Amino acid sequence: MLWLIRHALCDLYPSTDELPGIEQASLDEFLRRFRRETNRATWAGVVLGAWAYTAAPILTVGMPAPSFLLSRRLRELHAERMGSAPFYVVRQLTFVLKMVAGLCWGADPEVRARMNLPPLPGDPGTWRTE
Amino acid sequence: MSHVAFQPDGQDVELEVDYVVVGSGAGGSTSAVTLARGGEEVAVVEAGPWRDPHDYPISTYGAMRDMMDDWGATLARGRAFWPVVQARLVGGTTVINSAICVRTPGDIFRQWRRERGVGGDWYAERVWKAQDQIERDLCVEEVPRESLGRSNELAVEGDRAAGMGGYVMRRYVKGCLGTGQCLQGCRALRKQSTNLNYLPEVLRRGGHILSCAPVDRVRFDGHRAIGVEGSFESPDPLAKRKGGARFFVRARKGVLVAASVTHSPRLLRRSGVRNRNLGAGFRAHPGTGVLGCYDDPVDMNTGATQGWASTAFRDEPGLKLETLSLPLELVASRLSGGGHQLMARLGEFRHLAMWVQATRAESVGRISTVLGKPNVKYSLDRADMLRFRAGMTLVAKMHFAAGAKAIIPGVHGMPYKLTADQLSLMESAPLDPRAYVAIMSHLFGGCMMGRDPRESVCDGDGRVHGYEGLYVSDASSIPTNLGVNPQHTIMGMAQVLAERLLDRG
Repeated sequence: MLWLIRHALCDLYPSTDELPGIEQASLDEFLRRFRRETNRATWAGVVLGAWAYTAAPILTVGMPAPSFLLSRRLRELHAERMGSAPFYVVRQLTFVLKMVAGLCWGADPEVRARMNLPPLPGDPGTWRTE
Repeated sequence: MSHVAFQPDGQDVELEVDYVVVGSGAGGSTSAVTLARGGEEVAVVEAGPWRDPHDYPISTYGAMRDMMDDWGATLARGRAFWPVVQARLVGGTTVINSAICVRTPGDIFRQWRRERGVGGDWYAERVWKAQDQIERDLCVEEVPRESLGRSNELAVEGDRAAGMGGYVMRRYVKGCLGTGQCLQGCRALRKQSTNLNYLPEVLRRGGHILSCAPVDRVRFDGHRAIGVEGSFESPDPLAKRKGGARFFVRARKGVLVAASVTHSPRLLRRSGVRNRNLGAGFRAHPGTGVLGCYDDPVDMNTGATQGWASTAFRDEPGLKLETLSLPLELVASRLSGGGHQLMARLGEFRHLAMWVQATRAESVGRISTVLGKPNVKYSLDRADMLRFRAGMTLVAKMHFAAGAKAIIPGVHGMPYKLTADQLSLMESAPLDPRAYVAIMSHLFGGCMMGRDPRESVCDGDGRVHGYEGLYVSDASSIPTNLGVNPQHTIMGMAQVLAERLLDRG
């Protein structure tokens, strides 16, 4: 399952000349941590989103094939069109994917450095115990 | 003084106090400190953990994990799915909001008198008097000019040029440093969230705070509330076993429920309170943003997260305008598209400013319980969607007046960017809520107050109809939409409720 999610997120946030993609943002570590820490509903949204992303090329580029089998050009077109798909549920699932991916990508030190933003120190994750 | 955090199995906790307050947000903490100042022994029972500023997360991921109720995944379900944002930690939503202070408009009290038989002039006077004191307690001040940041400065310029009747916000913030971290909690200790002032004062006055302590139910003796019970819950997301010891807090004089708009009706229902109005009358200020694209960098996360607002459109068409900066981690969800197209759009981040409109919606929803969690049913009707769209158009106009070269409306079915000569397109934007990415801010109702028990859950003093010693002291008792940020109203009402309990002895 992680592989499927990873594939969808890498398509949505690819590397460009200007910016690193999500693949360079410790994505595997992020996904493992996110799966452990998040609630079931949010994780289910991500899983459903990844399935929808994989299965939807028939809706976006007219190809009856999973997205990972598309040519590079069609994958790019598919990623573009998923975010503005005509079906609300598909759009919302892509929204969930983009939002979760943003939590990983937008916190990456390299991405932030390219954008001239300060790095984010780690979250303490602590609380008062007494 | 005592604070009791998570207790593992076998270390059950029992306390006896005068009043127990369920929830430590704006309503709960204000009632608690008022009762404690009046000499009552108070226990505050909070579902989330107590995080001090050095515990606050820095990233948006951390804020969702450590501070939001259920990772911010509670949705209002109707024609569209829009998230309902609430916090779950000591201090409640006061820790993660922008601390905006707006006094309750007088027409609200008159409306409550007219429509619900509660409130009126004497009540207005008492709430405003309480709000005077709260403003002193929490050091309310206007955002200092040097802390506004470029996004708020542009909003001031846009307002001046477009005549939006706005102002620099007054907030419960003492000497804002403009770190742009309001939504993750202010690590600079400037925001006066109630975990820093009212709740420590409750402890100093001999009260108790139980954190990591979600209440299962209110316990009754006949129709008299005598306390609350539940089990501690570990806030550690990696804990193999989340559940902990049982707790019971006996209340000699009363139980105040201030668990939030979504949780208060759920708690009362689960406790066996029989009232068909529980969960009814859910209202909100649904809001969305319009991004302006500027030639020079704006760096919207530098400066106050929210620093400018206009309430000039509160009556007609019925909305509020505000600035609201968005962190890089969340901005992609406001930009359409994916792949290289999305990356190119993200590359503009430093040149974007987001300003929002919050609609004073008249639509009414309902809160039920599904699988033990709050379930909000809510849809905007056509009249509200017209207001919603009008608000977006006003924000767009202001961006252009401030010098934006384009705006990003973020509306499905519309062009990604609009230039000033395309502004008229905003006026024909779709009225289908599914075309918008929005959030439900400022929640009201679920335990509405009113004189008639057939149409309400509690009376004008917050007392639950048909029960003794059981009160509602949060936004769930508010029966109408305010059209302004609600924290000051919630706090003012909570203080008056507690003062009236003290008056009765």
